[in-house]
Amino acid sequence: MSQPGVMDVTVKERAELALNDDFLRKAVKFTTERLRNGKKSASEEHGNWEEWRERGRQIRLHTIAHLDYYLNEFVNNARANGVHIHFADTSVEAAAIALDIAAHKQASTVVKSKSMVSEEVHLNHVLESAGIEAIETDLGEYIIQLAGEAPSHIVIPAIHKNRYQIADLLSKEAGEILEPDTTVLAGFVRKKLREKFLEADIGMTGCNFAIAETGSMVLFENEGNARMVSTVPKTQITLMGMERIIPSWTDLEVMATLLPRSATGQKLTMYMSGITGPRRTEDGDGPDEMHIIIVDNGRSLQLGDPEFQELLNCIRCGACLNACPVYRHIGGHAYGGTYSGPIGAVLTPALNGNIDEWNDIAGASSLCGACYEACPVKIPLHDMLVYLRRRKVEEGHGNKLESAGMKGFAAVVSNSKRFGAAIRLGQIGQKAVVRNNGISLKLGPLKGWNSYRVAPSLAKRSFRQQWNKLDQELNQDKKEMDSSVRDRMEQILREREGGGGQHEH
Amino acid sequence: MNTEHQEWLEQLEKKSRAKQEHVMNDIASKLRRPRQTHAPTQPFRGAPAFWTDLEWDIDKRIQAFTDNFVSVGAHIARVRDIGEASDFIANKSHELSAKYIIRQNEQALTDLGLEEQLPDVQISVWNSQAEENWKARAAEADIGVVMADYATAYTGSVTVLSSPEKGRSVSLLPTVLIIIIPIERLYTRLGETLDRFDEAGRENLPAGIHFISGPSRSSDIENDLTIGVHGPGIVYGLIMG
Amino acid sequence: MKVSLFITCLSDAIYPRVGEAMVRLLAAHGVRLDFPPVQTCCGQPSYNSGYWDETRVAAKTILEAFDDSDFVVCPSGSCTYMIHHYPELFVDEPVWLEKAKRLEAKAYEFTQFLVQVLGITDLGAHFPHKVTYHPSCHGSRLLGVKDEPMVLLSAVKGLEFVPLPYGEDCCGFGGTFAIKMPDISGAMVTEKVDHIKETEAEVLVGLDMACLMNIAGNLRYRNEPVRVMHLAELLYEGVQTG
Repeated sequence: MSQPGVMDVTVKERAELALNDDFLRKAVKFTTERLRNGKKSASEEHGNWEEWRERGRQIRLHTIAHLDYYLNEFVNNARANGVHIHFADTSVEAAAIALDIAAHKQASTVVKSKSMVSEEVHLNHVLESAGIEAIETDLGEYIIQLAGEAPSHIVIPAIHKNRYQIADLLSKEAGEILEPDTTVLAGFVRKKLREKFLEADIGMTGCNFAIAETGSMVLFENEGNARMVSTVPKTQITLMGMERIIPSWTDLEVMATLLPRSATGQKLTMYMSGITGPRRTEDGDGPDEMHIIIVDNGRSLQLGDPEFQELLNCIRCGACLNACPVYRHIGGHAYGGTYSGPIGAVLTPALNGNIDEWNDIAGASSLCGACYEACPVKIPLHDMLVYLRRRKVEEGHGNKLESAGMKGFAAVVSNSKRFGAAIRLGQIGQKAVVRNNGISLKLGPLKGWNSYRVAPSLAKRSFRQQWNKLDQELNQDKKEMDSSVRDRMEQILREREGGGGQHEH
Repeated sequence: MNTEHQEWLEQLEKKSRAKQEHVMNDIASKLRRPRQTHAPTQPFRGAPAFWTDLEWDIDKRIQAFTDNFVSVGAHIARVRDIGEASDFIANKSHELSAKYIIRQNEQALTDLGLEEQLPDVQISVWNSQAEENWKARAAEADIGVVMADYATAYTGSVTVLSSPEKGRSVSLLPTVLIIIIPIERLYTRLGETLDRFDEAGRENLPAGIHFISGPSRSSDIENDLTIGVHGPGIVYGLIMG
Repeated sequence: MKVSLFITCLSDAIYPRVGEAMVRLLAAHGVRLDFPPVQTCCGQPSYNSGYWDETRVAAKTILEAFDDSDFVVCPSGSCTYMIHHYPELFVDEPVWLEKAKRLEAKAYEFTQFLVQVLGITDLGAHFPHKVTYHPSCHGSRLLGVKDEPMVLLSAVKGLEFVPLPYGEDCCGFGGTFAIKMPDISGAMVTEKVDHIKETEAEVLVGLDMACLMNIAGNLRYRNEPVRVMHLAELLYEGVQTG
């Protein structure tokens, strides 16, 4: 799940690195804006987006709520199609199973298409340690593989690299200088990976959706590499999160409507492939042997938890990343896990089941709700971040200083007398540091704030201190309510009594 | 497959079946209820009702398909019949100085008569004989020729199904892809094609069902769009009829 | 009919003129707000940081204050929205839970109250300035306040409205987020102010003093002469000169 040693550094420190990297910030900003605008145009053009979102949400909720049925159906049907199914409880198990298969096939080369689950289980590392060459074939993934880095965005993994850096990496691989021109660089990768596709022993894929009723798996992509690795090599291994199920092909229409538009603003990705088992005996291509490894790795921990079960709705579109202002400023690596952005901030602690270790990621959010608004299946990520923070406090891992501050806060707000007294105290105490109704002091809790702002001073007289005077003044000149206004208000009250009248929001 | 390997696979299957029960029981227990053993009623299945009502007339379908296909960098041509399609392909072949073509082993594509039209071009017919490395033939091909099984106007997509006569590689490995799209196979919504797979049922599905909506592409390098990364970079749709 | 003011701790202690503007504007239309002094704070700061016990302490003052009000009006979308978390907070305390559900049904953000409840969209204000608007996240996304402020602004005579680029982006306040992650928060508010400068507006108007305090702080830090006002203040000033 994490790069080695990453938890020695806090999110704050990693974020600092990102904030100081001008190129990274510009690149992330440009890309997320492009994708965000793409989603906006595509969803507006399609129309009725809210209905589609609700539909997507309902289908996913239903499937997860009956996961024992649908996953079981998928497994039985896939087996009937000739697929070998394996269950992996943990990431270690998943990698071990994949390695076992590769070893039995005496594989020396594996070509991989995009799979976040394979990152989660550190598959490449395990394969390489066993002397098996594992090659990422998605252009962005290939680039970061050469760089030895983790992806920084779910959909566009090399967002943080500029073309000069990429030209350097690819030139080393090519053994000659390649121009920092997209066409040249992509052309080199096409040629290089062609050879690999044709000679590889095993093709590995992820899985966007798995159709329960027919035991089929579905892949969405634009480059064609997922089709390559599932058509050319003789053996296919697919890694699949256990929650990636939908009941039927007709349900796929909803996912195919939501996913590409949310991820990249496309009506549909260039390729959408439904694979139902290995090749038929008489087919001329397709794998002879097909394996699907169903990975749990903390997913089942969310089942039955009313606060986090909806996390399993996720279709890994990345729309939340593109909407998140924090992500836009700090990029993906600052999150420290396989998954970044708002979904990562919740998934990482949730899958790991240990809030204390991944605590500060949930803190890197202003709870603006843009992620929830962007999510095509309406996952309330903004609420889940608060639940994570609450669990951390409940488990006794709250920051000591913050806990003390909160106790102080509670004492002050517990009743209005104390509250009023605290304000009066503040009004007196601030005199020493107020200049022109502002406080610029960079001390204590104000240090961070006043590094970017001038803090306001408390008003000379608070609202509650002025209230009696204001109220009495208005008594001198009472105005009558317009009768239509009165009628409206009384109507609302009547509706409320009647049980309706929840006003719109 | 050798017996040792077969035995190992069988062993794994035994383990997997036992684990399966365990996994499903665990899910049910976490959801705090007994195992769901029969299909639950789906309160919402497939697209919303207002969507499934959508149906365009043929002219609108052709126009929408064309607009979508062209917008992603593919090309469209209208041909009246298989004869015109054949002429188009022959002309393209000359234009591109193609040396190798591969086509699916379907009667409709045999009717193209490409072999007669292009005597100097090496034309492979997928899986038409044993002892040939068909994947290599597809990989070396300049042009791949397929016929769409279905097409969707709303997304500008064609659907191709694999079979012994129709290789997945033919629409994937060549540099240029030419897809013949009979207009009677052109539908409005994606769901119209997807529903067929539900109707057909598991046993009747091919190994590979591929929706193709244009040329292969990527924006992974500095958001700069590049066409033709792994799949065909040049795609022609011949709307026929 | 008892129509009560939920002042919010920020407006109470730092921006009392917002409360005053609201009270006076509504009084002019015959709607007298009362001010139950028992209220202290909605509890957002502790809620968002995961300290729910402390939040319940604050929330109880709000529930008590407005127990017998018919309508509750608040100059903050985030504080109004916080009330929707109260049923969840008091799920194990039936007496408070009942109060929470009732308060949910009767609490309104200021522009919601004007437009939806009173049906008033034109207060007769005259405010001949170039104005841009920042839609606070909780208010617009979660409480659904999108059209009401625009309707009110469009009725103001002489007002030149210029839309804020990327207006829906968060200003970076997020309560304790600004204290705990000051550099990320700082980057976000800096970006927000960059966009405000692009509009060349004289006035930034909004519905939530938390956001406005945050943005005003950065504007002042950068010596930008943009005036920051709550919509109630703008309307009140506009009515006085109108």
